Amino acid sequence: MDYLWDFQSILNNKQLLLIGLQNTLILAVVCLVLGLAFGAIVGIARYSRNPILYWPSTAFVEVFRNTPVLVQIMWFFFAFPIISPFEINAFTAAALGLTLNTIAFSAEIYRAGIQSIHKGQWEAGKALGMSYTQQMSRVILPQSIRRMIPAFMNRAIELMKMTSLASVIAYGELMYQAKVVSTIEFNPIEMYTTVALIFFAIIFPFTLLVQRYEDKQREKG
Amino acid sequence: MTTVLSIQNIHKIFGDLEVLKGIDVNVEKSETIVILGASGSGKSTLLRCINFMEVPTSGRIVLSGKTIGKETAGKVIYNEAELNALRTRVGMVFQHFNLFPHMTVRENVMEGPRTVLKCDKDECGRRASKYLDKVGLGWKSEAYPSQLSGGQQQRVAIARALAMEPDIMLFDEATSALDPELVGEVLETIKELADEGMTMLIVTHELGFAYTVADRVLFLSEGRILEQGTPAEVLVYPKQDGTKNFLKGHGSFRLPEPKLD
Repeated sequence: MDYLWDFQSILNNKQLLLIGLQNTLILAVVCLVLGLAFGAIVGIARYSRNPILYWPSTAFVEVFRNTPVLVQIMWFFFAFPIISPFEINAFTAAALGLTLNTIAFSAEIYRAGIQSIHKGQWEAGKALGMSYTQQMSRVILPQSIRRMIPAFMNRAIELMKMTSLASVIAYGELMYQAKVVSTIEFNPIEMYTTVALIFFAIIFPFTLLVQRYEDKQREKG
Repeated sequence: MTTVLSIQNIHKIFGDLEVLKGIDVNVEKSETIVILGASGSGKSTLLRCINFMEVPTSGRIVLSGKTIGKETAGKVIYNEAELNALRTRVGMVFQHFNLFPHMTVRENVMEGPRTVLKCDKDECGRRASKYLDKVGLGWKSEAYPSQLSGGQQQRVAIARALAMEPDIMLFDEATSALDPELVGEVLETIKELADEGMTMLIVTHELGFAYTVADRVLFLSEGRILEQGTPAEVLVYPKQDGTKNFLKGHGSFRLPEPKLD
């Protein structure tokens, strides 16, 4: 193979790619923040013994955990507008799909984290006269959040990668911009190599961070 | 004498297992009651029904003259706020300490007054110092529970319960999880509380301790009080076969020999 790599065409389209990167980051951050916040609510509902909280939250989690994100994004972009009165743009459709997916997965992280705390901790709070909310906020969550952090970071990494799926509905994130550039410049090899390298450069430090954190936690025991 | 706590005809059923079959106890102010019985006799469940860690299936709990729960159409309804208020007045010490591992010793003791009683900062601090000193662990204030021995952890747990300044203290096998050499310091702390006039209900397997500390001993068997009386009456001159067999099973425990007259 004597292919001649030529990255000049990439540099010529730097501006387009930077916009793409920016959109990728916006999408990832929005979905992560909303996903973790609402995930806490769904996770606590999943842990609840109240059937009014338990069943809907469980159904929600199972639906979004057991269907592909790509299908969810397509559904929100193409199907949802037909059956609902809302106009929906590419960003909203992608953000909805990814956020709901993140909610479902982070809810499970919250639930597992809460469940990992010994029931004696609940009892100790209860015996002092704490309400359920006080037991949760003063005793259970502060202890379980520490155990949840690596799982949340892994989730963030997954999410960052999943943003590339938004390209199928023409949201101008990095992957979509790359597709545009490569059809103009006929340089798919350089273009997709560059995209891979950009993702790697952003995500790899996080992966190292998770590993370091997990090692540290293991030392602490 | 004033009655602090009145337990009236308490039944507790788990599934189809009736663990408590009608228990009546009146606890007088400053009285120390030790509850004995084989495992499965219902003694822990009885204790846990008093502060509603378990809700009794039927019967009544009266604390300082006030009946807990509202009776409507023969069924008792408990509201969560009322139970939380009751729990602030009933201190509980657990077998496994259950200290909050993410808080220092001092924060553990302040947690109840701060979060539940909404005491101001000075009052929380005063209580933390007072009760940590009482259990002899003021010098460990800034340590975390994981840095303490089991005996020290249990003493912190006692201070945490005392900081609520409860009307009555419940000890649920407070020394059962401890290494033998650490049992003494915890029993010593409990005994001091008894001497100071704290009202207490103690579930324990330490018969020697029961003998020295109790004003009254209850012997539970199969969910009923089989025998009760002074330590001497129950532990030295038991009348019931159940009690005698139980005491025989604890061979290493030496009680004063019955006097022959």
